[in-house]
Amino acid sequence: MALPRSNYDPRRVCVNPFPNFELPFGKYRHAIGIYLAGGLFALANWTFLDAAILSAHAHAPEGDADYPVPVHVTFVDWIPGICSLLGMLIVNFIDKDRIRGEEGFGDSHAVWRARLILFIGFALMAGGLAGSIALLVLKYILAGYEDQFTYYGYANVAQNVALMLSAVVLWIAQSSGGEYEYNLSI
Amino acid sequence: MAAGIKTVILLSFVLALGFLMIILSCALWSNWLPLLVALTFVLAPLPNAVFASCGADDFSAAYEPGAGPADLGRFLTACVVVTGFALPLVLAHSEVISSGASAMSIVGGALVYGTITAYTATFRQDGSEFD
Repeated sequence: MALPRSNYDPRRVCVNPFPNFELPFGKYRHAIGIYLAGGLFALANWTFLDAAILSAHAHAPEGDADYPVPVHVTFVDWIPGICSLLGMLIVNFIDKDRIRGEEGFGDSHAVWRARLILFIGFALMAGGLAGSIALLVLKYILAGYEDQFTYYGYANVAQNVALMLSAVVLWIAQSSGGEYEYNLSI
Repeated sequence: MAAGIKTVILLSFVLALGFLMIILSCALWSNWLPLLVALTFVLAPLPNAVFASCGADDFSAAYEPGAGPADLGRFLTACVVVTGFALPLVLAHSEVISSGASAMSIVGGALVYGTITAYTATFRQDGSEFD
């Protein structure tokens, strides 16, 4: 490779390169990263499902039978998680070699399209996170519910943060390859 | 081979203990939802086992970065394991099962999964001696 890396690297997508993480655990760091990402993924979804199940089983406090349950988890609460999930799927379906735009990997249109789809995936994940925060503020905090019900909103934010963390861990784990020196300069 | 037989007997005892804990956690409160935990932990090593032969063949080195199916198996395994721990907690949180049943089914499920993992690891070590 005789490409100059001083000022402008044409393989880059972002101007600022992601830092190169040197993870511990030696040769097992790839597998550990994948396991960690899967665990975070399941944790995210169970955090939200906990809120949903809790909402479905919500009941009036003891001795106050006609006190109505003020708010439930509805389909609106599911939307940010679905957006994050779609974004994570899209980001991970992209072949990482295509984004780098190596020579001999097809035409330049393929690289352009891969970057566009990657952008859509990241935008979906960020939109899911932003949507969950908006939901927490608009539906739960501004309405002034008790902590028992505001928990639904916090669980939603936690779900989306954990989904994004899972995607990041998966990306780092997949790009920290072994002896082939797979440093993604994105 | 005596050590191997001892290991097998010990592991089978631990497995039976795990199932005993799970079934007790169901039967003591007469609510059979924690039995799902046993099912989850039994299914947990399945993705790794299915995708293990897709990853590397004899000619590749320790690890090849592009082995997608093996990664998918690891991802699914971690998902299922976390599900096994999270399911009784969630059920206990929403008061479907009691917290005692939740704790017992978590301990039992961890014993079952640990038994399966330890058995696989021991068996693999024994097998590689004859290669």
